[in-house]
Amino acid sequence: MAFIKLNDLEIEVEDGTNIVEAARQNGIEVPHYCYHPGLTRPANCRMCLIETYGTPPGAPPGTIAPDRQLATGCTTTVRTAPPDRKYEEKFDAIVRTDTPRVITAREDILEFLLVHHPLDCPVCDQAGECDLQDYSHRHGRDQSRYVEVKNIPPKKDLGPDILLYSTRCIVCTRCIRFCEEVSGTGELGLINRGSHDEIDIPRSHQGNPIQVLDNKLAGNVVDICPVGALISKDFLFKSRPWFMEKQNSICTGCSVGCNITVEYKEDGVYRVKPRFHEDINQHWMCDDGRLGYHYVNREDRLQLPLKKVDGQQSVTQWSDALTTITEKLSEVEADDIVVIGSAQATNEDNYVLQLFAHNVLNTTHLGLFGQLPGEEHKFPQFTIESDKNPNTAGARTILGSANGNVVLEDDALWEKVANAKVVYLVSGIPDRTLQDAEKAALENVDFLIVQDILPSEVTELADIVLPGTTFAEKDGTFTNSSGWVQRIRKAIDPPGEAQLDWQITQQIATQLGGEFNYSFSGEISIAISENVQGYEDATHQKIGDEGIKLA
Amino acid sequence: MVQERRILYEHLDVPNINTFDVYRQHDGYKGFEKAIAEYQPDDISKMVMDSGLKGRGGAGFSTGLKWSFVPKDIEPRYLCCNADESEPGTFSNRYVLEKNPHLLIEGILICCYAMGIETTYVYIRGEFTLGKKMLDAALEEAYQQGYLGDNIKDTGINVNIYTHPGAGAYICGEETGLIESLEGKRGQPRNKPPFPAVEGVFMKPTVVQNVETLCNLPFIVDKGVEWYTEMGPTYGDARFDPPKPDQNTGTKLYCISGDVNEPGVYELELGLTCSELIEVAGGLRGEEVKAVIPGGSSAPILTHYELDTRLDFTSLTLAKSMLGSGGIIVMNETRNIVDCLLNIMKFYAHESCGQCTPCRWGTPWVRDIVQRIADGEGRQEKITRPKFGIAEGGRWGDTGETEEIYEDLDLLESVANNIANVDTMTWNTICVFGIAVSWPAVSYMRKFRPEFEAAIREGKLVTLSVEEATVPPEENYAFQQRIIPKEMSELA
Repeated sequence: MAFIKLNDLEIEVEDGTNIVEAARQNGIEVPHYCYHPGLTRPANCRMCLIETYGTPPGAPPGTIAPDRQLATGCTTTVRTAPPDRKYEEKFDAIVRTDTPRVITAREDILEFLLVHHPLDCPVCDQAGECDLQDYSHRHGRDQSRYVEVKNIPPKKDLGPDILLYSTRCIVCTRCIRFCEEVSGTGELGLINRGSHDEIDIPRSHQGNPIQVLDNKLAGNVVDICPVGALISKDFLFKSRPWFMEKQNSICTGCSVGCNITVEYKEDGVYRVKPRFHEDINQHWMCDDGRLGYHYVNREDRLQLPLKKVDGQQSVTQWSDALTTITEKLSEVEADDIVVIGSAQATNEDNYVLQLFAHNVLNTTHLGLFGQLPGEEHKFPQFTIESDKNPNTAGARTILGSANGNVVLEDDALWEKVANAKVVYLVSGIPDRTLQDAEKAALENVDFLIVQDILPSEVTELADIVLPGTTFAEKDGTFTNSSGWVQRIRKAIDPPGEAQLDWQITQQIATQLGGEFNYSFSGEISIAISENVQGYEDATHQKIGDEGIKLA
Repeated sequence: MVQERRILYEHLDVPNINTFDVYRQHDGYKGFEKAIAEYQPDDISKMVMDSGLKGRGGAGFSTGLKWSFVPKDIEPRYLCCNADESEPGTFSNRYVLEKNPHLLIEGILICCYAMGIETTYVYIRGEFTLGKKMLDAALEEAYQQGYLGDNIKDTGINVNIYTHPGAGAYICGEETGLIESLEGKRGQPRNKPPFPAVEGVFMKPTVVQNVETLCNLPFIVDKGVEWYTEMGPTYGDARFDPPKPDQNTGTKLYCISGDVNEPGVYELELGLTCSELIEVAGGLRGEEVKAVIPGGSSAPILTHYELDTRLDFTSLTLAKSMLGSGGIIVMNETRNIVDCLLNIMKFYAHESCGQCTPCRWGTPWVRDIVQRIADGEGRQEKITRPKFGIAEGGRWGDTGETEEIYEDLDLLESVANNIANVDTMTWNTICVFGIAVSWPAVSYMRKFRPEFEAAIREGKLVTLSVEEATVPPEENYAFQQRIIPKEMSELA
């Protein structure tokens, strides 16, 4: 640990920390544009200038004076100094971020940054979460002295989801470094020179793109752009950032379990952004996850229970649907029932389902249903996994917790389904298609109960369809492939009369004489921590925003 | 009358000196042979340190000191010869490359021997097609004659030299910009530290030397340190007790252009004055000297009051200018300083690499302001600001009074100083390109302010007489603050 004097604070920081981070940890803002903790540091924006102190050459030992040049905070790192080289006998470094020199330098740099920047904040998507706006407000001068003509470089379409408003670009090169270092695809580069610098993709002499920005991580460049230059077409002109509420959650796109922030309004989810987690996704997420939230807002979401009468599904009441299910389940032998949990459902949903199967139905036929395996994508600093479910690991453990860890999957499951009379399938998987064997097995079932969020090939076969909820509408926990248990939180209300998945299961269980009655998902997590091996610490309270790693 | 002292250029005019045989007949490779026969590598480094040789590329940093920073335990180490001579007004390296390339090869060999370097890259300015052709031909000959390649002259020394043409960017003459370009990247300077001596080409220790610096090495080795140090003045740094010697040894290839009768490259001992140099170059063309640029276009300008300044590294630095690359441009009474500044600012705005904010957007801004003034569209509004001049105690500073100045001139000075502050010598940029922009902008404006004011007032370019155009010495910031260094002999 290095002991440094930062302004008037005497603080301890890790060796190798730079001044921007050291200041941030202690509540002091050092404005910066090109520096991003997940990327290399070119120090080209010159915004994070700070004043460092040292002993001037030739001065008597012990003299402390400001160094002649200001230093960039992002590249100035502090380390523990040997005892004879400490300042004032105890400090490893002395820096100030609040001297007149620093303040003037910030004003000067901001004036330069705004020389060619258009004042189109009223129509810019970034307004409200723009570093240039914020720092100008906090560190800039109130007016510019620039009276010459501004550069107007063209607006560019860089890829399927990315637009570049070159006029707003401050050439911090974060996006270029991201494509080189994190995605390793290197689509972006600088063209021209000096004040005509522009970010661009490779183009032929006629200006036609040779390569577009379409890698699976491309959306991150929009997040890291400190101004409104790189814009997501998906979010373009949809909402002002300050009108949206934010909720911390976990991406359901694959088993990595990227930490995300869901940004939403009353009428649905507007966008999903990555949230920092050191061990899982750092600062990033993939575009599959980023753009994959749209099913939550779909018009055709299941809102009421459906019941098949004479081969035709029609809307019914919850009471009617539950009564029909209860009657069917009490008619058949326990051995003829298969209960199938979902790798898209939370640990809490699956735990209640598992209780229902064991304690109420007395069946040991518990299966796991999930999204079909997809492709794995490996990048230098990021991996998208082939398991496209967020909670496969959790579902396996929870569903099998009272069953000797036996959970039916794939062929074994469909074999059992084909011979079953009643199947209770919790799906919640958007756009799940059925393979031939799966379809054949499900068609063979006498009475199929499907709990799902959207009409799909699965719901088409069902005798009863129960409307469930998506990740954005419920609280709970997911366990990712590397054993991290993390929380998702409710952002929006479920559509229509859709209900939480574990509540639906609990209602059926109660009608059949089940003796459990949970009132919120945190309560279930306590039950999980008491009854499931390995999940001893996995209560919502302990998991928090950081998540916990299973032993 | 000062005489030329030809050392590097001694055999420049010998027919076919670019061929190995002719070069050998004129004592070629004698320095290198002496080095490997008589000295250990460390001896050479010590000789270079003792000779007081300063880098001729622009910064004037001690070559021996630079070599001492190179870690000896990291392999491989590289030598990078900077032949990207692109400072406006400078054209001395070009003659060496085109006429006497073996001299450069010999210099490289000595440096490689001293530093234990096996690989050298010569980064040649792209426009020097003839120079590259001549050097490539000379390299081929040197390989054939066994002066390059593996196991040179059975000494076990291996040296390979590769030439690499630039693509025409001024900034690639900056040592780290050059290294980036050499590595195949965009020519943008790196943040320092680490300096190239520690992490240079391919992140390995690298010595970056100008052509002229390397060409001095054969003579230092061949004729000895004593012979070399006799040339040029040795000043005493009076801040130290006893005064610390500050050597400005050797000769310099001064490139003189502009309003002189015989422009060209003159090899002279360091330390002669501006006026003497103009005499050497055949005298002034015109009536009066209006201004002299002493070290390439980025050096602060000298007025006719400052012509007694000695043209060496120390004197010019203490006169708030610099020797730089030794490109001297003389201007007579017909030249308009606003127009000159516009020309120079157009160059810098075009050549800014665009990496860091102040330079990327500051240089075109400065150009635009000068352009507006030159077009006669300078704004008539004036502002009041503190007046700097001879303050209490006879020192330059804030006089406590105020002065009126055209808003555009204040803006010009302020924007240039925001890129790099001329008064405090601090810059917010990554490399020294920033100061190369603001030095001319601020010094031209301050020293020839009446001509700028006339352009705004009259709404067109007005060329004033030399006396009228120049601010009097008592208002000249550089003249008032300059220190004339004393030679060691005087101090004693």
